[in-house]
Amino acid sequence: MKRFPVHKRTLVMLAGFLPLIALFIYVALRSGALAPVPVTMARVENRAISPALFGIGTVEARYTYRIGPAVTGRVKRLEVDVGDPVEAGQVLGAMDPIDLDERIRASEATVQRAAAQVNEAEVRHGYALAQARRYQQLLEARTTSEEIVLTKKNEQQAAEAGLNAARGEAARVRAELEALLAQRKNLDLVAPAAGLVTARHADPGATIVAGQAVIDVIDPAHLWVNVRFDQITAYGLAADLPVHIVLRSQAVEPRPGRILRVEPLADAVTEETLAKAVFDELPQPLPPLGELAEVTVDLPPLAAGPVIPNAAIQRLDGQLGVWRVSDGDLAFTPVTLGVAALDGSVQVRDGLKVDDQIIVYSARALHPRSRIRVAEHLPGVKP
Amino acid sequence: MISLAGRDIMHSLGKFVFTGLGLGLLIGITLSMAGIYRGLVDDGKALLDNSGADLWVVQRDTLGPYAESSSIHDDVWRGIRSLPGVARAANATYFTMQVRQGGRDVRAMVAGIAAGAPGTPGWPPYLVAGRQITRGHYEAVADIATGFALGDRLRIRRNLYTVVGLTRRMVSSGGDPMVFIPLKDAQEAQFLKDNDAIRQQRQRTGENPAFNRPQVPGLLEAVIASQSTNPYVNAVLVQIEPGHEVAAVAEAIRRWKRLTVYTRSQMEEILVGKMIATSARQIFMFLVILSLVSAAIVAFIIYTLTLGKIREIAVLKLIGTRNRTIVGLIMQQAVALGAIGFMVGKITATLVMAPIFPKYVLLQPLDSVIGFGAVMVICLLSSIVAIRAAMKVDPAEAIGG
Amino acid sequence: MDGKGVRIEGLKKRYGRGDTAVDALKGVDMEVAPGEVVGLVGPSGSGKSTLLKCLGAVIEPTAGRMILGDEIIYDDGWQVDDLRALRRDKIGFIFQAPYLIPFLDVTDNVALLPMLAGRPNPEARRMALELFKALEVEHRARAMPSQLSGGEQQRVAIARGLVNRPPVILADEPTAPLDSERALAVIRILNEMARQFETAIIVVTHDEKIIPTFRRIYHIRDGVTYEEAGEGRAIA
Repeated sequence: MKRFPVHKRTLVMLAGFLPLIALFIYVALRSGALAPVPVTMARVENRAISPALFGIGTVEARYTYRIGPAVTGRVKRLEVDVGDPVEAGQVLGAMDPIDLDERIRASEATVQRAAAQVNEAEVRHGYALAQARRYQQLLEARTTSEEIVLTKKNEQQAAEAGLNAARGEAARVRAELEALLAQRKNLDLVAPAAGLVTARHADPGATIVAGQAVIDVIDPAHLWVNVRFDQITAYGLAADLPVHIVLRSQAVEPRPGRILRVEPLADAVTEETLAKAVFDELPQPLPPLGELAEVTVDLPPLAAGPVIPNAAIQRLDGQLGVWRVSDGDLAFTPVTLGVAALDGSVQVRDGLKVDDQIIVYSARALHPRSRIRVAEHLPGVKP
Repeated sequence: MISLAGRDIMHSLGKFVFTGLGLGLLIGITLSMAGIYRGLVDDGKALLDNSGADLWVVQRDTLGPYAESSSIHDDVWRGIRSLPGVARAANATYFTMQVRQGGRDVRAMVAGIAAGAPGTPGWPPYLVAGRQITRGHYEAVADIATGFALGDRLRIRRNLYTVVGLTRRMVSSGGDPMVFIPLKDAQEAQFLKDNDAIRQQRQRTGENPAFNRPQVPGLLEAVIASQSTNPYVNAVLVQIEPGHEVAAVAEAIRRWKRLTVYTRSQMEEILVGKMIATSARQIFMFLVILSLVSAAIVAFIIYTLTLGKIREIAVLKLIGTRNRTIVGLIMQQAVALGAIGFMVGKITATLVMAPIFPKYVLLQPLDSVIGFGAVMVICLLSSIVAIRAAMKVDPAEAIGG
Repeated sequence: MDGKGVRIEGLKKRYGRGDTAVDALKGVDMEVAPGEVVGLVGPSGSGKSTLLKCLGAVIEPTAGRMILGDEIIYDDGWQVDDLRALRRDKIGFIFQAPYLIPFLDVTDNVALLPMLAGRPNPEARRMALELFKALEVEHRARAMPSQLSGGEQQRVAIARGLVNRPPVILADEPTAPLDSERALAVIRILNEMARQFETAIIVVTHDEKIIPTFRRIYHIRDGVTYEEAGEGRAIA
């Protein structure tokens, strides 16, 4: 009986120190390098995945007409401005003729002069012909010499030649006049097709060299998205595949469309495959040209097969694979992967079977001798 | 025989526990300092481990890509890929900048990872949530140290990125958490200036008569377009085929005239030996000072505890207590104090200091073992000092004048 | 002597050496029979404390003879190796103040001595409790020293002095802090204990309240003792 209080004292002391000791042991074993690695696991599922491709691009006009003069000149007047719709054949503006009108008038005068010369030549030819005929008759009546007949014939031929020359000259100056007139018509800037004016590069008075564009017109009914896909993930890209297009300014509304064509020339510098995607229905109001768009191509779904999340894929000693847990043992299993979907699922072609248990997330890098502790989700990570 | 030490402890339990706690906090801080030092070195190595690379190819004569800025053309990797012994080669960019999310911004190292699939050099080797990047643009994988969650929209320069995956312990050598984004977006982010600067540059180019020639339509647009692209990356990460010598492949790459190649051990030397050397030295000095101070305080405490009992010790000696019983009293108390202090210290360091300290605190079991040994040695040595004082006490002092 | 009691013959104690030497004891003779309680009276500086320290085997005398029970413990040199064991087993101490170990309960304070002598704990505690009964403090057996009154503490101290049944007990001013009623009570207890356990008790004191109770008194002056018969007044 007298011994009891002593024991009680000891018990009280132990009770006080026991939590400390327990906490210490917990800390020693559960944290730091001795602790097992928290991991989460998943089952290899049998699913059909729908692969998709993702690329970004810019909205562009399919047809852009850059209208400018064929010769260097000055802009005289412009009838349209940016944003105006135009019809096919509409005159949008004109270059300054400068001295062209005067040259046309000069040419017209020359044409008239050439016509007059033709008249003169015709008259002379008529007279020479009549003379040649009369003297021929006289020769047959033996009232003139052969020599005079020959001279008259000569004159007739000369007059004929002169007439031909005059006619040729008239034709030439007429052609020159037509050329100047054609040039005059060329000074008009004409829209080759109906569309929308998108740029006005110069104002009246500016000097433009031949080939420089003054007005850009696009066909707003034909916009496309010039898309770039990383070559390494562009497997399966083909024309007529359905796409979703998300414009940067309208981030929440994906618009349906399709791939119009895959460009035969890829971009070797940026290692991207180029393609053109068109909207099924043009968004109204029209998106500005150059706006960025994200294009997702839906590839046809594949047959069901073993599928794993891409977070599980790791590389160990140069081999690509996943950490598999079978019968409580951890083993790195190399796998051959197939197609991937944009949500992170990847098809497994070889290495795993459906219902195999694999590690998806781990709090530290794993080694073949790691001790693991399976959890619902990792500590410190909100689910 | 009863345990005098135990009885004394229980009689002044409050004082003892309080002293143990105080000592424990001091030991805890010392252990944490060791942990901070180890964490600093680990930060340097984490970057290298996580990149998964055997070789780093950088601009010639630079210590890049982490210690120094390095710029190489982004098609250099193709030449490297075709060399014998190279299993994989991928471009990578690294750029430390502020990443904005919601109302706050976080300092992070933005890493550009080459297009491809998990397992490409430079990709995060494992995740703690979400998935790896599948789209070629505008997706990001962030380290949880940034505080971002899955689904957050990050603003890096002018683009918005959705966080699709989370990692742990992916940090730069300076301890900044990493954010992985597709390489092309990273190239643009690293290079692209803000809109004002771009406008000014276009204007300057337009005013330059060499570029703005009316006889050559399209020249100005072409020049401006070339100024808006960035064909450079910071490094090429190379993985070697098994069975090939790392040094031999490195040498083969070095023969390319304008490139420098580092192996894993050389990179470690650069990072640990150069980049974090100063901080590491500072922390190590603190650790040494703190340890000495802790030792002094432990010795002082044990000595004071003994001196407080000096009269009882004289009485004990007078009534015939053996020396070794008195020595046992002092030494047992010192060891008990040390043990309690160490346990409190280890618990404090693990559960309090490590989570709240802004840098990574790596507490290794070896450090704890060494710490425990050191605490015990200090306790025993300081108890010897106290024992000498106790032995010198003349029992006759108990008998008055 | 019949194996008990204490005897001192010609004890000398010199402090220091040469010119600065001080002779605290110049040849002390003393004899106390078992069961006897004698007083040791003298002014300060008379060598009283020195004599006590020599008797208590705390300091070494310079010359002389000390006999404890039937053992010669000092004969111009210590005759025993382990002085501490000697003190533990053969000499009991009662100080001015109880000097109890504060972190042991009063039973263990007293039982400590038999435990140190090698007795098992239960037996040691039993020995302590026996004395507590005799000293009428057994109702406080489980208390800590700080919970006892001064008088109770003093009785525990007395029990500690007696527990190993030493042949001699040295009491140094045991009544100094007490009033006359309690002082006489202490002396009464000492007398009873001395009789019961056949112990020789030497009480160093200058307390006028208790000096009349001694049958024999040793006066000490300048290092020499003089025996005197005391009043031997009975204690109520």
